[in-house]
Amino acid sequence: MTAETAVRMPRRRRRERVNVGRVIMLALLVPLMGGPAYILLVNAFKTQQDIQSQPFGIPFDRLTLQPLIDAITSPEYNVVASYGFTAAIVVVVDVICIALAGPAAYVIARSTSRKTRLLMLYFLAGTFIPGAAMVIPAIYVLRTLGLVNSFAGLVLYDSATTLPVSIFLMVGYIATVPRDIDQAASIDGAGRLRTFWTIIFPLLRPAVVTVLILNSIGLWNDFVSPQILLGPSSDQYTVTTAIYTGISQYTTDLTKVFPNLLLAVAPVIVFFLYMQRHIISGLTVGATKG
Amino acid sequence: MGLANAVIADARSPRTRSGEGAAARKRNRRLKDTAVSLGMAGPAVLLYSALMVVPVGVAIYLSFTDWDGFSDAAFIGIQNYTHLFTDPNTTHSMWVTVLIVIFGSAFQIGFGLMYALALRQKSRTNSVFRALTYYPHVISALILGFLWNAILGTKGALNTLLAPFGIGPVGFLFEQNLALISLIAVIVWAGFGFNVVLFVAALQTVPLELIEAAEIDGASRWQINRNIVIPMIAPVVTVALILSLIGLLRAYDIVVSLTGGGPAGSTSTYAYVILAQSFGSTKIGYANAQAVFLMIVSAALALLVTALRNRSDKAAEGEG
Repeated sequence: MTAETAVRMPRRRRRERVNVGRVIMLALLVPLMGGPAYILLVNAFKTQQDIQSQPFGIPFDRLTLQPLIDAITSPEYNVVASYGFTAAIVVVVDVICIALAGPAAYVIARSTSRKTRLLMLYFLAGTFIPGAAMVIPAIYVLRTLGLVNSFAGLVLYDSATTLPVSIFLMVGYIATVPRDIDQAASIDGAGRLRTFWTIIFPLLRPAVVTVLILNSIGLWNDFVSPQILLGPSSDQYTVTTAIYTGISQYTTDLTKVFPNLLLAVAPVIVFFLYMQRHIISGLTVGATKG
Repeated sequence: MGLANAVIADARSPRTRSGEGAAARKRNRRLKDTAVSLGMAGPAVLLYSALMVVPVGVAIYLSFTDWDGFSDAAFIGIQNYTHLFTDPNTTHSMWVTVLIVIFGSAFQIGFGLMYALALRQKSRTNSVFRALTYYPHVISALILGFLWNAILGTKGALNTLLAPFGIGPVGFLFEQNLALISLIAVIVWAGFGFNVVLFVAALQTVPLELIEAAEIDGASRWQINRNIVIPMIAPVVTVALILSLIGLLRAYDIVVSLTGGGPAGSTSTYAYVILAQSFGSTKIGYANAQAVFLMIVSAALALLVTALRNRSDKAAEGEG
């Protein structure tokens, strides 16, 4: 409630004084933060000559859709073609993660035994391990399982890495759901698994949304695991690996760099604009509580 | 917790009858409960163990060997670990990483705090500015790096902007020290907005009465921020700081796309050396020792987070 009062109450005295420092700070944000986004946007529609001679200008009579069309129809390292593959990874991992993390979180949250509680610590230990360090030994395990350079291997590895934070966030949320609800369901004859999926899970919506947003953004932007676990021989590219492979071939051709980068960020920016409120609260909760 | 347990005990007690049959039934039921719990948590435990825990074990094992990927591995004790600190390539990358971690997190927190204080009140303009600071956080660091590479290049946008003033072309990415500074600047640019949002959320829980009381007492805005507001959000700042530290310790994607570790290795971070150099080489034992060392440092920092967070939680409980 304090947050509400802190915000809603008008502060006349503050408003009257124009804070010059604040105005300068905010004015600086426009070129510093907006500039790169502007450069990315306008240069995706210009010729190489125009990009280099006037990167900030908009030569209205010479703007062209050709670079963007070329990027969309490019036979090699096509970013748009990689949307589907990346989205498939995101969706499959999200489903596996929720399907596995949900029931596990329920068991942990509802357990009264110390042994089960230790499970939480076991999972939490996973948040300490940086992906850059993890992915190298993971390759040997995947190789033993015959899953290296495959979609299945990448998806299983990604799912494993999302489990710790997801379980942690869900345990915290389940703890706020009264146990009487479980009791009522069990008296009605529902088993534990069924109680979880039909009664408890629908109540976890906010936690599940947070988990899905955290995971989806992380997976869409992930570069290390697809780069290392898929490898060039798999011939499958996510948005990031397609950009990486493409740009290392055509660094100097800016009419390829800008349209491809624009296509790579477009889905995330659209998602961000639509879901801004959820994303911001999801990521802050994920960071402070995860 | 305590209350919930009492509820369960209450619910069970009417059903508890004396007699062996009831005891056996109860034991059966408990056994079944354990089996169901195991079945529910099992898949998660299995997947996590197979692809997160086992690899750590594999890495630790390999880090004590001289395995090259083909021939038989031989134990060489801690030789790989001592090599970590004598191999100039690796030690240099450690220094680069330390500089990135220190300056990157200091500026990410500093700017985060400054802009959070400026944008803390709820209004439409403020939320637009917040989104403006924040948007890079949802974009892949790899892509941000490529974008800045195009901006900071010798023929890039920034040099075009400086040229009319007779400056440059400046080798933002091609002079050793400047390249590291550019890398840190881009990292700060990409990351401080996340702290803005984090801190704004914390600032909005600071009671207004406190600030008004101080205003009536004639405190200046700076005094209020310095002595009342910032101490009250200190726990969140601590968390943000250590998240920054851990995040920057792993800097890899942005190095790949912005500088490729160059010029002359001046921006090769520790994670970059592991993945771009050691990983492709035949020194697999050594690569794993490098990875294990990163895990240890990362875990040490993460434990620090947990310890500090627990301490601040306890302090908060004490107040409540």
